[in-house]
Amino acid sequence: MKLNDAVWGALLLLLGAVVLVHVQSFPKIPGQQVGPALFPGIVAAGLAVCGGLLVLKGLAARRAVGNADAGWVVFAPWVRERHYVLAFLLTIGVNVFYILAVNRLGFILVGTIYLAVLFWIFGVARKWIVPAAIVVTLGIHYAFYKLLKVPLPWGVLQGVAW
Amino acid sequence: MGAWEQAFVLVFQPYNIMVMVAASLYGLFVGAIPGLTATMATALLVPVTFFMPPIPAIAAIVTATAMAIFSGDIPGCLMRMPGTPASAAYTDEAYAMTRKGQAELALGAGLVFSAIGGLFGTLVLVVAAPSLAEFALKFSSFEYFWLVLLGLTCAVFMTSDRPLKGFVSLLIGLLIACVGLSNPAAFPRFTFGNTEMMGGLGMIPLMIGMFAVSEIIRYAVDTNPPLRITDKPLGNVFAGMWGLATKYPKQILRGSVLGTLVGALPGAGADIASWMSYAVSKKFSKEPEKFGTGHVEGIVESGAANNSALAGAWIPALVFGIPGDSITAIVIGVLYMKNMNPGPSLFTNNPENIYAVYLLFIIANLIMIPLGWWCIKVSKQILKVPRNVLMPVIMLFCVVGSFAINNTAFDVTVMLIAGVAAYVLEENGFPVAPAILGVVLGGMLEENFVSSVIKADGGFLAFFTRPVAGTLAALTLAVWFLPLFLRRLRALAGA
Amino acid sequence: MKVVTRAVGALAAFAFAGMALAAYPERPITLIVPWAAGGGTDATARIIGSLLEKEIGQPVNVVNRTGGSGVVGHAAIAGAPADGYTIGLITVEIGMMHWQGLTDLTGASYTPLGLVNADAAGVQVAADAPYKTVNDLLTAIKANPGKMKASGTGQGGIWHLAIAGMLKDLKIDPASVPWVPSNGAAPGLQDLVAGGVQIAPVSLPEARSLIDAGKVKSLALMSDKPSALYPNIPLLKAATGSNWTMAAWRGMAAPKGLPAEARDKLVAAIRKIAASKEYNDFMAQRGFGVIYLPPDQFATFMKKSDEDLGATMKAVGIVK
Repeated sequence: MKLNDAVWGALLLLLGAVVLVHVQSFPKIPGQQVGPALFPGIVAAGLAVCGGLLVLKGLAARRAVGNADAGWVVFAPWVRERHYVLAFLLTIGVNVFYILAVNRLGFILVGTIYLAVLFWIFGVARKWIVPAAIVVTLGIHYAFYKLLKVPLPWGVLQGVAW
Repeated sequence: MGAWEQAFVLVFQPYNIMVMVAASLYGLFVGAIPGLTATMATALLVPVTFFMPPIPAIAAIVTATAMAIFSGDIPGCLMRMPGTPASAAYTDEAYAMTRKGQAELALGAGLVFSAIGGLFGTLVLVVAAPSLAEFALKFSSFEYFWLVLLGLTCAVFMTSDRPLKGFVSLLIGLLIACVGLSNPAAFPRFTFGNTEMMGGLGMIPLMIGMFAVSEIIRYAVDTNPPLRITDKPLGNVFAGMWGLATKYPKQILRGSVLGTLVGALPGAGADIASWMSYAVSKKFSKEPEKFGTGHVEGIVESGAANNSALAGAWIPALVFGIPGDSITAIVIGVLYMKNMNPGPSLFTNNPENIYAVYLLFIIANLIMIPLGWWCIKVSKQILKVPRNVLMPVIMLFCVVGSFAINNTAFDVTVMLIAGVAAYVLEENGFPVAPAILGVVLGGMLEENFVSSVIKADGGFLAFFTRPVAGTLAALTLAVWFLPLFLRRLRALAGA
Repeated sequence: MKVVTRAVGALAAFAFAGMALAAYPERPITLIVPWAAGGGTDATARIIGSLLEKEIGQPVNVVNRTGGSGVVGHAAIAGAPADGYTIGLITVEIGMMHWQGLTDLTGASYTPLGLVNADAAGVQVAADAPYKTVNDLLTAIKANPGKMKASGTGQGGIWHLAIAGMLKDLKIDPASVPWVPSNGAAPGLQDLVAGGVQIAPVSLPEARSLIDAGKVKSLALMSDKPSALYPNIPLLKAATGSNWTMAAWRGMAAPKGLPAEARDKLVAAIRKIAASKEYNDFMAQRGFGVIYLPPDQFATFMKKSDEDLGATMKAVGIVK
């Protein structure tokens, strides 16, 4: 998804403005000459200025010869193909699933499902999907849980924890 | 028997050598896993060192960290997944080399010049530790403020082909750095009442998300036929490296000197050193247009810088017990436990101990070359794994690595959002590296600015009147305004 | 997808069946530290962790949950399941954060297991400063209010309260020594040596290496007992008559509502560790003060610490 620079500029202007308004509510700190609002305020002002410049740049680019009919938003070719849209959604979706489910189901189950889904969508040969997902998940679990002492959650497998 | 002979005896014990080899393998392993940092490698070693005599305990830490910092380059280079903020400076460059089939050259250069930088830093540690530590201790918030500002300026140089978008990216990074409670006012900013947000957004999850996750998303929606990465083996690696060394001697020296100096400053470590070196390298290069397209020059210089910074960080730690970075913060604790209390007396009473530490540094940097080379050979096999298997596995590593930093799913969320955002930004021509730099340095910039203003009772004159601060200020302002001035001058001369 | 659901269900049933009532502890314990790896709290947690491992016969994993000046980690300890498999090392900040409105947690949100360490604040100045005693320093502060600056932790942090409370107790306006926030004791001490600030009211183990290097001197200790590390540093009371004391403490705690079996086992193990030679040797080498209070006294101690800190924060104007 490509947005015209002018659209980005407008978004940045908005972000800068929202932050600038929000930091007004920050308190003054006794004994400090500059409060917690100053630094984010300067950054937000900077964003707003850059946003303004991008708006000018984007409009100028549109006015340039041959560009007048270019859309404000240009979609990449993959957006029109179902397979790639699904791949995009699943790539993000498995992570959301991991975040929501890992404490309840545990790392080993969630990790296996996570990998199996991605292997499938990226076109790994069917017969390898599940075995590969299990082997890799167990390998990662061993490396992090046993060797590096990272407390990966067991979830429902708590009773058989090793 | 002199102190040096005693030091040799202390170091060349079979037990000690065994510990060093084991620690090397451990360091290489931890560093090569994205999300696990050299600091974590050290922290995990501490309980083990409880039960060791002093020299092997320090040997374990020195070797493991040197290896981890180098091997942090490996996933960055092969998979665009930087292991540490220090290697984030040249991750894009190294990854571009991998795509051109030069992975071995990029990693080999990282390895050999890391070792050279490390040896240089050690040399400085041996000959000048006390006096350099005295100098480093003179740095107050005024000096740090200018140093950080100078570091941020690097972002602008690194993206000189599209300065406006690079600057926007930097500002976004600085804004992200504002999130949380860790600001001079200890006031929770942009937390939306969430406890996890009070801790701020973690550097490592952001970095993993912005580089690796965005790359995986790009792979998922790539409609072109899959890219085949062919790797040209280097042949005789040391001949190749000798060629680089003779081609870029100035860069190696410059990187090593800058790295050692910045590393020796408490609070400024390998990260800033490596970003600054990369920018300096581009600025003074004869062929700056090649930077970003897979050009080894910047990797040579900043690779030397980040390992020499590692040795530099030990200078204030050993002389005054002031940690130069998070690794030496842990080391100081270990030194106390082993009755090697940091301080000037460490160098005068029982000097054989400190000489042994020097020897450990030298050995660690020397054995890094063969072990690291073996590690490159092994890990390069990753490129032979089909991409459709590799990419999901990398992403699960990213998830676990983000989780491991603080053991919370919140960091995985941060990683995911950063990844999607970085994908969209990169599609639209915004570079992401400056945002990382903004996150790394944002907190330091604000902290040192506010501290300085309080110390100066609200005045700004003190930012210029202290000698070192004044010099750094002049340097920063020159870097900003000299190009403008020169252009104006040239225009006038032309007219 | 149905197959997967069924498989998950079957596995879950199997797992619950496996959780028969075995004697606590039957699996590894996680010890949460609200501060970063490498600091004093982390070191204390790691030695306790490794000794606890021997005491109770299960691995103890030390996990750092940093951020938000300790808020994040303290919340993680309090919010963990109260089954004895997640414990934590809580610090003095638990009595400060709720006054600032950062959290609702207080010492009462935990099952106390035992206080294990306390380090009093000292009054440190640069070694070449012209003050011989703490009274010289106080005279200089009174003569030039606002001129002398102090640093050593963040705004409203423990050492900030230490000096502000001391000044208030001595009838000097706390605002006459402005606080320069720093990211921990080390940067504050470095700024002291660099001449950026004049006072660093941090604990003695934190200042130890610079005191030994002859860069920093300590004028007084805000405690009622001399330091084991430097017995010659005068107590604040002896020097000025002020009764003010302030210390950073660390104690073991678990989420509220811990089953009695787990609590009794952990309390006994921690009592034994606090008395052990290994623990005391380790703490002595690091210069940390060892103090042990059993759970009930630890709870009372936390309550008093909480009230004192709140009063100081109000008086100094950090909290309205």
